Amino acid sequence: MEKTTVQSSAIGTYEERISGHLELLSTMGQDFATSLDIDETLRQGLARITDYVGAEGGALFLLDEKGEKLTCTACVGETEITGLTLNSDEGIVGRCVQLDVGEIVRDVSTDPNFQNSVDAQTGYTTRSILCAPMSVKEERIGAIELVNKRTGDGLFDEHDLHLLRSLSSSAALATKNARMAEALVEQERVRRELELAAEIQRGLLPDAGDDSFPIHGVNCPARTVSGDFYDFFPLDDGRICFNLGDVSGKGMNAALLMAKTASLFRCLGKTIHQPGRLLSMINDEICETVTRGMFVTMAGGIYDPKTGIVRLANAGHEPPLFYAGDGSFKAIPAEAPPLGISPLLTGDDGIPEIEFNLDGGTLYIFTDGVTEGYLEDGSELESEGLMKILVDKAADPVMARLQTVIDCIHRKNVALRDDLTLLAIDDGLNKAERPEQTDDRETMATENIFHVNFPSQPDRLKLVRSAVFDTAKMCGCSETVARDIVIAVDEACQNVIRHAYKGSPDGKIILDISRDGDSIVLSLRDFADPVDVDRVKPRELDDIRPGGLGTHFIREIMDEVDFLTPPEDDGNILRMVKRIE
Amino acid sequence: MEHEITEQDGALIVGFSGDVDLQSSPDARKILLECVARKMPVLVDLSKVNYIDSSGIASLVESLQTARKAGGSLLLVSVSEAALRVLELARLDKVFTICGTIDEGLASL
Repeated sequence: MEKTTVQSSAIGTYEERISGHLELLSTMGQDFATSLDIDETLRQGLARITDYVGAEGGALFLLDEKGEKLTCTACVGETEITGLTLNSDEGIVGRCVQLDVGEIVRDVSTDPNFQNSVDAQTGYTTRSILCAPMSVKEERIGAIELVNKRTGDGLFDEHDLHLLRSLSSSAALATKNARMAEALVEQERVRRELELAAEIQRGLLPDAGDDSFPIHGVNCPARTVSGDFYDFFPLDDGRICFNLGDVSGKGMNAALLMAKTASLFRCLGKTIHQPGRLLSMINDEICETVTRGMFVTMAGGIYDPKTGIVRLANAGHEPPLFYAGDGSFKAIPAEAPPLGISPLLTGDDGIPEIEFNLDGGTLYIFTDGVTEGYLEDGSELESEGLMKILVDKAADPVMARLQTVIDCIHRKNVALRDDLTLLAIDDGLNKAERPEQTDDRETMATENIFHVNFPSQPDRLKLVRSAVFDTAKMCGCSETVARDIVIAVDEACQNVIRHAYKGSPDGKIILDISRDGDSIVLSLRDFADPVDVDRVKPRELDDIRPGGLGTHFIREIMDEVDFLTPPEDDGNILRMVKRIE
Repeated sequence: MEHEITEQDGALIVGFSGDVDLQSSPDARKILLECVARKMPVLVDLSKVNYIDSSGIASLVESLQTARKAGGSLLLVSVSEAALRVLELARLDKVFTICGTIDEGLASL
């Protein structure tokens, strides 16, 4: 760096002095503008002005971020005080910073703010001080202090202060610019890291299938990373496991918990095919490690493309909507609290499951970012708005339907309020490929084989078993299959006796057995209060309570199990079908 | 359902015959839990069981759990085809120790 040629201000005419000032300012201005090292440039500027004003020493103090401490970051002259820290209201420097006014203290010994401890430590005698604040608009940055004028009458004058103020103003601006540039670099670094995180996060979402695939999802983060997620993957038996979740919050912490929850679901979901138990296990895992106050709402389930049946568990999530295709929706509310709140809340049975047949309809799962998303007129979409779009666009391919919803909320140049995530399980195409069971039932000739009417008493079951065994064999079932059918009918009768009639011996049960093509159809009718079909679910195998295990046997043995509504809407009909090999 | 309890080589052998169903499983449960409470190994002979339902299976599981908690043992021996099918349906065929004969059961203790 070129050595300054500026001479002391005390010498020469007024014109020469002005020209000298301008030259100094211009030199320092250039230094500040071209410098890559702000600390070094400030030190040089301080040296130049100390020399130019003719002071014995100079020091530059910067205020810390909290505005509590002033630290000397540059120093010229005999006494080295770099690193010296004062309270921000301490000493003449402190006063100068607090009041944002430059000052000349001709004789420090008469000033109560003078800190003579430094002199005591260094042996230096401070007589006179010139101090100018460094500030940009209202923002205080620090101050430059010069001590003991070497030339002239030994006293600092107004010209000196004026000159120092010019330096301190440009030093303040340069410091602020440098800090802003540093902040920008840091911001840019954080932004790049967030983008990397977002890329990894997008990688956690499943690849979109073609239009013929029944499950489609879409996720639009409100920020770079998202607290929402969805996933779907096929199981070995042809069924498809799916989920959608929403982590509380939207920032990086939410994104990390999202990554953990999504990974747990994918990993455990491949071996645990009971959504309620799966969610319950994820809950236990999250509870063990999650940061206090964070939680995840999740709806997860399994869809069987062969039958259209969905088994769903909902932990605190916005109720998914099932659209049957007739313009009406059915909301499926959460049966358990969100995951991550308490391992006790999901109970021993896991989270309750709901099983129902999509039968050509579509199940929509979405986050509250969708229903609470702002429309163009400033109102929220809400469930009603969502349902309207889905009905209006029902004829569109599933992905187009989801995109229409997203486009309503995620408009150009409008910041999203929350992450938007939607998942649709559309049974339409699979239903078209399934044989029309309903029509078969009505049109195909069925042969009635056996009909029996008996009271809801356990001691009649032996008779029923023997009749069912013989009837099944008569229909062409092998002994093994006939025995299995006996087990299924026996368990179904038990359920009626124990749960529908609640053990009362006066209930009436009717069993009809017919042959329908290559199937044997068994209908069990009771006249008890209708059961809530959604709540009849097979329990976990390790839960051996009667009823649950029996229901599991029935579903294992039979090819089809359906609850039908009796014509008079009185009681229940359980229809079980077994194909004869 | 009928039952018979015999003692052999320090173990109790409980044989059931007939149908263990909704009608009879409360009795089966009582019998099994009483045997387990005698603090001897229990062999449940299912060779003469024509039929067993989920409530009968539940009684067996409860007895097994009770025995294990007390440090004892409960095995199934000579399981009939009908009973084995139900154990398989319940995926319990790997949970219980199942032996082909009473002698094998006693030898495994």
